[in-house]
Amino acid sequence: MATDVAVGRARRFKTIPAGPHLLAASVFFGSWELYGHLGNPLLLPPVSAVVAGLFEITFGGPLLPALFSSLQLLFVGFGTALLVGTLLGILIGRYQLANRVFGPFLNAMYATPDIALLPLILLWFGFGMTGRVVVVFLAAFFPIMINTYAGVRDAPRELLEVASSFGVDTEVGRLRRVILPAALPLIMAGYRLGIGRAVVGMAVAEVYLRLGGLGTLIVQYGAAFRTDLLIASILPLPLLGVGLTKVFERIENRFQYWRKL
Amino acid sequence: MTGTAAVVQPKIALRDIRKTFRWTAKGKEHVVPALGGVDFDIRPNEFLTVIGPSGCGKTTLLRILANLATPDTGSVLIDGQEVTKPGPERAMVFQAFGLFPWKTVLDNVTFPLTLRKMPEKEAKDRAREQLKRVGLEHFESSHPHQLSGGMQQRVGLARALVTEPDILLMDEPFGAIDAQTREFMQEELMKIWADTNKTVVFITHDLDEAVLLSDRILVLSRGPGTVRRVVDVDLPRPRWEYDVRSHATFATVRHDIWQLLRGDLQAQTEEEARGGH
Repeated sequence: MATDVAVGRARRFKTIPAGPHLLAASVFFGSWELYGHLGNPLLLPPVSAVVAGLFEITFGGPLLPALFSSLQLLFVGFGTALLVGTLLGILIGRYQLANRVFGPFLNAMYATPDIALLPLILLWFGFGMTGRVVVVFLAAFFPIMINTYAGVRDAPRELLEVASSFGVDTEVGRLRRVILPAALPLIMAGYRLGIGRAVVGMAVAEVYLRLGGLGTLIVQYGAAFRTDLLIASILPLPLLGVGLTKVFERIENRFQYWRKL
Repeated sequence: MTGTAAVVQPKIALRDIRKTFRWTAKGKEHVVPALGGVDFDIRPNEFLTVIGPSGCGKTTLLRILANLATPDTGSVLIDGQEVTKPGPERAMVFQAFGLFPWKTVLDNVTFPLTLRKMPEKEAKDRAREQLKRVGLEHFESSHPHQLSGGMQQRVGLARALVTEPDILLMDEPFGAIDAQTREFMQEELMKIWADTNKTVVFITHDLDEAVLLSDRILVLSRGPGTVRRVVDVDLPRPRWEYDVRSHATFATVRHDIWQLLRGDLQAQTEEEARGGH
C-alpha cells in the first residue's frame, strides 16, 4: 500500500506576536489594491472591489443558497467516503486476503488523477447528484482509507495479547477494545486530510461536471468578466477548506492527548 | 510449605509440554525448539520462580500457562482440570506493563471487570481498592504515559489483582524498572503475596530476585528447555523484616544456581563460537 500516512500534528507552536503577520498582510493587500487601481482591473480588480462584491453577493445575492447547495454535496460525498474508507481500511489492514484482493486496485486508483476520471464518471453516473458525489467521494476516500489501514495494520501486538489474556476472544472484541482505540489518532488524521480534499473535489465537481452551487457562480462570473465577483465567489472555498480542516484538527487533538509526544 | 506437599493436589500441573517454533523466511526454513518436554507441579499458594539462560523458553512456558500460546504436545491442568483458554482464575502481569495508553489508570484497572459486564460502580470500587493496595489511589485519572515505569507496573499489578485470581503469572515484571524501584516493588509484591495467598509463577533472569522472592526456583536447561533442577529456598519469611541478602542460605542457594547457569552460558558461548547456532 501507499506509504504517505499522515501523523497527528499535535505539537503546538508557541504563539508568535501578531506584528509580522500584520506587516505581511498589509504589504500583500496594499500592493494588490495598488495594482487594481493602476493596472488592468479586468485581470485583478482592487481588493476593495472584491470585498464590496462579496457583500453584494452575500446579502440578498446568490452566494448563500449556492453555498448551501455546495455543502450538501460536500457532506454527502465526505460522509460516504468516511464510511467506506474506514470500513475498507479496517478490512485491508486486518486481513491479508482483503489486502491481496483490493490492494492493487486501490493503489492503481490512488495513482490516477481524479480529473482524468471525470469523463468516465460523467459517462457512468450522468449529470445528476450521483456523479458529483462520486467526485467528492474519490477525493476524500484515499487519505481516510490509507490512514485507517495503517493504523489498523500496526495494532499493538502486546496489547492484543493483554486483552486476550483477560478473555477477549472475538474479532469484534479485539477491534473494539484494542485495534480501533489504538488506531484512532491516525484515523482522525485521515478524516482531517479527507475533509480538505473533499472541498477541492466539491469545487471540481461543480465546475467541470455540472454547474451547481459555488461552481455556478464561479463559471458565470468568469464568463461575464466580473472578476471582482469571480474572486468573491472563489473565496468561500479556501475558507471552507481551512475552517473544516481546523474543526477536524480540534476533534483529532481530543484523541491525541494520550500519545507520548 | 512442608515436606508433605506431595499429597496435596498441585495447583498447576504441567504435563510433558513441548513446543517448537517453525517459520519460513526468504525460502529458508527455521526450526527452533523452545521447550523439550516440561513436566512439573506447582503447589497451591507457592511462590515459584522460573529462571534459565536466555532462549530457554521460560517466557514461552508462561505464555502456555496463560493459554496465550498452544504447546505442540502436552497439557496444562489447573486444580486437576485441563485448561485450553485464558480463564479468570489466572491473571498476567506483563514485562512491558501492557497498559492501554488511551485509558486512565482507573479504566485500565476496571478493564477485566468491564469485560465481565460488572456494573460500572462496583467495578470502580473494586479497582480503587486495588489501586489503594499498590499505593496509587491518587493517580486514578492519570494516563499511563504520565507515570514512571514502577508506577505503571503497579497499575499492571492492580489490574491483575482486581479479578481476585488464584494464580498470578508474571513475565519478568520488574525487568524494565530501575534497580532502586525494583527493590521496592519486590518488597511490595512479597507483602501482597503474603496478604492474599496466591500461587505466583514468576519469570526472571535476575538470580538475586529469584532467591529473594521464591519458595522454589525452577531452573530450566538451555533450549529446548526442560526441568534442569528445582531448588528450595528455605529462607524465613517475612523476608522484608531482615537483611535477607546477607543470610547464609541466600548465598548458598544463589551460588548453586549461578554455577548451573554459568555452565550453560559457557556451553552456549562455545557453541556460538563454533558457528553451530
